Amino acid sequence: MLGKLMKYEIRATGRIFLPLYGLILLSAAILRGFMAANEKANNLFTMPINITGTIYFLLIAAVFVMTLVVMIQRFQKNLLSDEGYLSFTLPVKTHSHIDAKMLVTLIWIILSVLVIILSVFILAVNQNVILSFEKSYLPFSDWFTSQSWLFVEYIVLFLVGSLSITLHIYASMAVGNLCPKHRLLAAFGAFLGFGVIEQIVATFMAIWRVTSLDDTADLSIVILFAGVFGVAYYFFTDWVLSKKLNLE
Amino acid sequence: MPWDLKPDRPIYTQLIEQIELMIISGIYPAGGKLPSVRDMAAEAAVNPNTMQRALSALESSGLLYSQRTSGRFVTKDAEKIAEVKQNFASDVIREFIDKMDRLGYTRTQVSSLLNDFLKEEGQNGKCR
Amino acid sequence: MESAVECHNLTKVFPGCIALNSINLAIPKGQIVGLLGPNGSGKTTFIKLLNGLLTPTSGQILINGMKPCIETKKNVSYLPERTYLNDWMAVHDIIDLFCDFYADFNKAKAYDMLQRLGIDPRNRLKTMSKGTKEKVQLILVMSREAELYVLDEPIGGVDPATRDYILNTIISNYSENATLLISTHLIADVEKILDGVIFINQGSIVLSATVDEIREKENKSVDALFREVFKC
Repeated sequence: MLGKLMKYEIRATGRIFLPLYGLILLSAAILRGFMAANEKANNLFTMPINITGTIYFLLIAAVFVMTLVVMIQRFQKNLLSDEGYLSFTLPVKTHSHIDAKMLVTLIWIILSVLVIILSVFILAVNQNVILSFEKSYLPFSDWFTSQSWLFVEYIVLFLVGSLSITLHIYASMAVGNLCPKHRLLAAFGAFLGFGVIEQIVATFMAIWRVTSLDDTADLSIVILFAGVFGVAYYFFTDWVLSKKLNLE
Repeated sequence: MPWDLKPDRPIYTQLIEQIELMIISGIYPAGGKLPSVRDMAAEAAVNPNTMQRALSALESSGLLYSQRTSGRFVTKDAEKIAEVKQNFASDVIREFIDKMDRLGYTRTQVSSLLNDFLKEEGQNGKCR
Repeated sequence: MESAVECHNLTKVFPGCIALNSINLAIPKGQIVGLLGPNGSGKTTFIKLLNGLLTPTSGQILINGMKPCIETKKNVSYLPERTYLNDWMAVHDIIDLFCDFYADFNKAKAYDMLQRLGIDPRNRLKTMSKGTKEKVQLILVMSREAELYVLDEPIGGVDPATRDYILNTIISNYSENATLLISTHLIADVEKILDGVIFINQGSIVLSATVDEIREKENKSVDALFREVFKC
């Protein structure tokens, strides 16, 4: 059932992200083309480069913005509005809806990062870059094996953190649904409120904990912090949607 | 084509009447097979349960009979059908007499009025 | 045998209003029942409780003996009063969705009904009139082979010919294992296909009887009785 929900979630959101990804890669390729042509044509192409460059950066900004907008809009439209009458009468557990949406959001976040990295490659990769990559490969892989745990931790932090933020937003929107007369205000207030609680807990942790000199330990604590709050938001959202749902 | 069902009388009784009328008039001929409950209910635009009850009542009264696998049939008993027809006719006559009563006619007047009317109709070539 | 729907002292309270006040009722299986009452009487609250879209404040509501849960959702086919489908989807996309989530969905029946009403499954809902959207939603709901159908104002926004078609569909779909609950204002149209009616007002059940019982006792149609009982 989760797979099916995710399938429909992807279908509903794909038509925004996939074209966006395509445009980013395309503009990166075009920009690269202009830059190469520029070298040979004595800076004739400065204008197109500026335009394409601006477009490229705007598209990247757009991807970040759209991820946030789509995340919020899907949750609101598909669960808390008229479509909720369909979603919540499907024979699936309430938390499956939350699972599907947060996992698909995560997928888009990961893909967005990968597409941006790929676009940078398209822009910057040339003989010199490839040579320096080859040169640095061995020392890099040495460093990598010795620091692999750190690398993994960063990836985990990225994943857990993304989910935690997503769930923070979902939980805020759930609070919004609890106050039918002032949905927007309540949701925004909850968002800030949850943030304040996070800050308070973080401050207490900083006070109690002896500051560690070891980078690795710090990172684990941050991951734990994000994870615990994420779980708390998850259960809160599930509780609101199961027991306190009030569609209009 | 929905049947003629009045809103202020029980549907069940009206269904029985309507089906009896259809049998008498030959729409459902003697010995003939009736459509399924669901089809009849859809035609009459009524609840199938109500139609079922009406049909069961008609079975009890002997106007219909059912064979387990083949469905429901109108009785082949022509006398039975004639009896029902007679009952309807009696009701119509009774109603007519009551109405004429209320208009103030005596029985004798009613009888002669009726004869005159029928004679006239016959003369005007109206066939029944 | 279990009732299709059973309520024991079902109560639902919202801040500032008691939507349902200790309702007790039992709807037997295989019946077509009308839930009739003015706006704000508690009809919609009751229907939401049936579908698990609200949880009771106290008391119980049971569907085939079970509290609303995934199992009951598999067997309940619900037609809400509003458009609850994603406008961007085409009709055949929605049919696929229903097939995906509901084991009892009859695809062939759905396409047949769409064809009879002249609706092209490739069209997106966005492009359809309100009336057509409502027909699509009804087709989806009636194409499921469910044990309980809950229809909220199924004939409200459609023309009389479509109304007849809808009522005819309901009758033809009837089965002894299925129970139908219809919530409506258009009583005169729907009266003949109902087994029983439940009058609800201000959160309480005012009357629960069969259509024929009412006609026999009161010598008037249910529609006429309703107007009397709920006179403004």
